[in-house]
Parts: sequence; C-alpha cells; structure tokens
Amino acid sequence: MPQTTIYVSPRSLGAPDRRPPSVRTTDLARLFAGSPALAGVSIQVEAARTIALLGPNGAGKTTLLRLLSTVIRPSYGSAVVDGLDLTRNTDLVRERVAYLSHDTGLYDDLTARENLAFAAAMYGTPDGTARVDRALRDVGLDDRAADRVRDFSAGMRKRLALGRILLGSPSLVLLDEPYAALDTEGMAIVDELLVAWREAGVSVLLASHATDRLAPLLDGRIVLERGLVAAVSGEGVGSAPPSLPGVPAPAAEVAR
Amino acid sequence: MSAVRAEARTALAIARKDALAELRGRHAAVTTLFFSAVVLLLFGFALGPDSARLAAAAPGLLWLAVVFSGILAVNRLHLLETDDGALEQLALYPVARRAIYAGKALGGFAVMLVLGLVVLGAVGVLFAVDIASAWLPLLITVVLGAAGIAAVGTFYAGVTVRLRAREVMLPLLMLPVLAPLLLAAVKATAAALAGDPFGELGAWLQLLAAFDVIMLVAGAATYGYLLED
Repeated sequence: MPQTTIYVSPRSLGAPDRRPPSVRTTDLARLFAGSPALAGVSIQVEAARTIALLGPNGAGKTTLLRLLSTVIRPSYGSAVVDGLDLTRNTDLVRERVAYLSHDTGLYDDLTARENLAFAAAMYGTPDGTARVDRALRDVGLDDRAADRVRDFSAGMRKRLALGRILLGSPSLVLLDEPYAALDTEGMAIVDELLVAWREAGVSVLLASHATDRLAPLLDGRIVLERGLVAAVSGEGVGSAPPSLPGVPAPAAEVAR
Repeated sequence: MSAVRAEARTALAIARKDALAELRGRHAAVTTLFFSAVVLLLFGFALGPDSARLAAAAPGLLWLAVVFSGILAVNRLHLLETDDGALEQLALYPVARRAIYAGKALGGFAVMLVLGLVVLGAVGVLFAVDIASAWLPLLITVVLGAAGIAAVGTFYAGVTVRLRAREVMLPLLMLPVLAPLLLAAVKATAAALAGDPFGELGAWLQLLAAFDVIMLVAGAATYGYLLED
C-alpha cells in the first residue's frame, strides 16, 4: 500500500475496536414522489474501515450517501453515525461527517484559496491560513490558488472540493464518485487520500464504479440494487434483511 | 458566550464571502442600481413635470424604488448559493442555522443600505427634495428600512431559491409582508422631510424597528428548515 504525505486533521478517535460503528442503519428508506430510491437498507460499517458502495445507476448509492451526510432526511427507518442518531443529533453528526457530492459546492467568483478559506472559517479550523495552504498543496492546486474557480476544469473543481474535506476533522468521509472527472494525477490523489484517512482511523464510504482501482484500498463492499442491499462482502461491514412493512416496491429506475 | 462568538464569526464569514463574490461578480449592485434608476425615472415621467407634485410624492417613490430593487438584490445574493450545489454545501457545515441566516441577512443589509442611500441621493437630485437638512432621521429610516427588507428578503429568498419560478414567486411572497415596512418608511421619510410638524417621526421609526426585530427573530428561528430537503 502506498505511503502518504497528505495531512489529515487529527480527531481524537480512539482505538477502532473501542469505538461505536461508524454507520448503522435500520430499514433506512427514502421516497421521492412516492417512489423509493432507498427501500429499507440495514447495514453496519465498523470504525476505521474503507467500504465501497457498488451497484448500477439508480441503485440508491447516492441517496444513501446523501442521507448519511444529513443533506436529506429519511422517509422511514433510522441511521446512527458514530453512535449519534442522524435525525436527533443532526448538528453533532455534521461535525463528524464530510461529504463529497457530484456538485462541488464551490463559489465561482471566489479564488481557490478564498473558497477554502471560507470553508476553514465554517469548520472553525485552527490555524486556518496554514491549513488552507497545506490543503491546496495536498490536492496539487497550490499554483492555481489565486485563480477564480469559474475558470477551473471539472477535475480541478473536484480536487478543490477534496481539499475542502481536509480542512474539517471528520470521523466518517462520504465520497460520491470521487474519481469522476479526474486525470491520472487527480486519481492518484484520491488514492493517497484514502490511505491517509485509513491511517488516521477515519472511516470512508464511497460510491464508485472504479472497482479495479479501488480493490487494494478497500476493507469491504456493499452492493445495492433497486434500493436494497443485494450483497455484502469483506471485513468490518454487515447487513440485515429489510423488515419494513408497507414500503412500495422499488421501480427499476428510481429518482435520486 | 463562546457559542455566541462562534455564531458571530460564522455570520461574518458568510457576509464577507457574499460581499467578495458581489464585488467580483457585481451580480446585485449593477442590476439593482440600474433598475432603481429606471424605476425613479419612470415614476417621474408618470407624474409629470410639476415639481411640487414630485416633491410631495418623493417619499413614496423613494421606498417603492428601494423595495422593488431590494427584491432583485436579495434574489441575486441568494443565487450565489446555486453555484454548483453551494447551498447544499453551506447546509452541511457544522454551524448554527441561525448563524447562516444572520450572515446572509447581514450581506443583504449591506447591499440594501448602499442601495437605499444611493436612491435617497437620486431622489434628492431628481425631485428637488432637500435631504441635507433632515439627514439624520433620513439615515435612521434608511438603516431601519434596509434591515427590514434584508430580514424578510433573506428568508423568502431561502424559500424560493430552489424553485424554477423564483423570480416570480419572490415578489409575490415578499411584497405583502413588506407592506407595514413600506407604510412606516414612507411616513417616517415624509415626516423627516417636513421637519416632523406633528411629532410622529419617532412612532414610525419605532414601528420600523419593531418590524425589523420581529422579522429577524422569525427568520433566524425558521431559516434552518429551508435548508433541509
């Protein structure tokens, strides 16, 4: 496994075997316009694990990540992150979770440095200026720090969004297609980040189709199909069959 | 106390970010200033060349121009958050929801204050109104009016920012709520320009201040729900 020099903010996480599971969901479901994008998912991910969410388009991977990130609320079921109930302790969960979505959430009229400086202010990152410089260097954008994001390519935007995650101190990182739009160098940065988070004891749940590339970096896999868990494999991950009555059967292609 | 300081820091960071993006992109300033100038000129044409009539109508024209332009301004400020999922990212930060509202409202207030003062100056020039002799009560009126429009606008811009028809919905939602502010601001401005002969200026300013407080408290308490899906 490659060594990394990427700086990951320390959080007092403790030994993985003495921590609560990073993720535990029970019959987690989300409907959009009456149609289930997620139809009752019960999974458990142990602390300090790197787990891939696999499955075809419309399987519910993005919906599961969005639910765990607190961006959307569940229609049914429950989720516990780091021992904290997602709906009852939303603010505390937000302190522990970082999420990279399809959208980068960057401001076009700000420079790369200004975007990260704003994120550092929002995270309350200590020693913000130095950490912003370090994050820019870690994602290979230090030479473009003063450029407006409006002029960035999709890959550069993705890198900058990854740099933003480095300014927080999450115990769970959720990544939705982290390799998408990245060049070879950018993909290597994602690999390095995964190693860095593993070394820091941070759990990672990522949706990706880059299964070959991910194979050496993973502890386990969860396969979703039509909003349900189809298979689970590897270490530090488990699932239970759905027990939700009354949730409509998922359509072949569901809204996300 | 440290929680209050943290929320104040968050609000200032958001307002600073909005100001920076506004200075770079000039989304709100150019369009709203141009729009308010057009509104004033059109009102002037509609009322005719009678200078006494224009001067009498000046307080109403001033605040109609400020309110119409203000709706445009708060909408533009919230559109910043539609950049590539920025609003969703803003909601993900581990910060108090009311601090996000306060930051957006503070940014809106700064834009509205500049807008209100520029429009006030334009009214003085275009309609031959002596604003210099009543500058202090007029300044207080503009500050309170700008705060009220920012408080209401920030909330409703949050309501409509995800809607496709937001440009239509925002004025439909905002204008009825702004009616008390419009009334109090026009009356306060008229009283200030006339030298407050009936001693009513203080009462109208108090009404404006009460409106601001109520809207700010209500907005801060409920804005968080708008960020959820």
